[in-house]
Amino acid sequence: MDCRTAQDTLPLYFDGELDRAASREFETHLDTCADCRAALIELDALRTTLRRDAPRHAAPELLRKRIEKLAGAQLDVQAPASARRAAAHPPRWLAYAASTVLAFAAGGMAVSLWNSTNRNAESTQASASAQLARDLFASHWRALAATSPVDVISTDRHTVKPWFEGKIGIAPAVHDFAEQGFALVGGRIDYAGNLRVPALVYRHGQHLIDVFVLPDSATLPGDALRQTGYRIEAVRLGGQNAAIVSDMDPAELAHFVQLLAATK
Amino acid sequence: MTAAAAPVWIGELALCHLDAAYNLGRWLLGNEHDAADAVHDAFLRAARAADTYAGGNARAWWLAIVRNCCLARLETRNRDVRNISIDSVSNDDDAARGGGAQLLPRSEASEIEDRLDQAQRRALITRALHELPTEFRETLILREIEELSYREIADVLQTPIGTVMSRLARGRALLQKALAGTAVTSEVTHGL
Repeated sequence: MDCRTAQDTLPLYFDGELDRAASREFETHLDTCADCRAALIELDALRTTLRRDAPRHAAPELLRKRIEKLAGAQLDVQAPASARRAAAHPPRWLAYAASTVLAFAAGGMAVSLWNSTNRNAESTQASASAQLARDLFASHWRALAATSPVDVISTDRHTVKPWFEGKIGIAPAVHDFAEQGFALVGGRIDYAGNLRVPALVYRHGQHLIDVFVLPDSATLPGDALRQTGYRIEAVRLGGQNAAIVSDMDPAELAHFVQLLAATK
Repeated sequence: MTAAAAPVWIGELALCHLDAAYNLGRWLLGNEHDAADAVHDAFLRAARAADTYAGGNARAWWLAIVRNCCLARLETRNRDVRNISIDSVSNDDDAARGGGAQLLPRSEASEIEDRLDQAQRRALITRALHELPTEFRETLILREIEELSYREIADVLQTPIGTVMSRLARGRALLQKALAGTAVTSEVTHGL
């Protein structure tokens, strides 16, 4: 890639609009070009300034009430908006809980097909755990091979969290740790068994990190948490079960676990 | 999505992205009152136009309506008050606080100083953004603050992606230039 092309590509790269292959190509150029690195740093400085100092005005409570009231009036014969929302949510959560049961049933069946360290695991719980670990690895690798590891590109937790809430009715605790070297890239919805789970995606240097938010009933196996350089680490994320999957070394992973565990 | 169910999802959509809508309104119109009224208008318009929604990104669709309502309001206001800068930062509370920095003795606790520095920085950024032409300001807000993708921004602004890219590039360059003399950007590496 020559520098002229790179200069055109630079904002696309910076804004997360390039696919993986193009990003790699750009990064190769970046390694050799101080000018492009400087330009990238300038863009990043501007973004940091804007995000830090340009206030994101939150909607006043009064406006929210107004819109809620209007939304309620649109329903006229039906229940008021607030009641409907309250009524609409539990089924989604129930469906989520029910799918958990299914996932574990599926896990129990599938495990007999899977020859691994857990071959002699006897209880369904253990096989379900092993299946979960396998699914998480598979999800992570699928994401690495995909054009983009995220469905929603964002470094802003205020975008990612409502996005999940809108899609699957689960609002995980989302925090950006860019300052500590673990930048939030975005989120996607992935599968563990037939259970749809939120995956938060972070980047640390060259490493892509997935944080899967799991239901309370999910447990990870005590072993089989390492495969060909990739690791799974269980963590509590704002009161929810979660699992980190990445190819970071143990020290980096431990640091990231600490950061996540400290969030509320 | 059936026409009968439309108002329900419109309500959910609007409430889910109410902050984004209001923030866009605030940056386009410059004050709380107009921004809130524009979002209110937008909701009514969205509810009426619900059955014309042809799929695609719903947030972008909603923000496009919000933006149109803001621009309509902006136009009316421009017609009414030609001689007053509509983007005057005096409407934004941060600007006022930033000005107070010099009044305090330097010996005050450093945390107070930090807070004033922050207030000053906010005032500077707010002013610099408001001094940008609207098309650059809104593009920057949608990308950097609301973190919309190029495709989403193109949907909101109803322009080709190429236009989004050129506005973004131009807007960034203008803002960098405006802030260059203020030493605001040079501090960012320190964080907070």
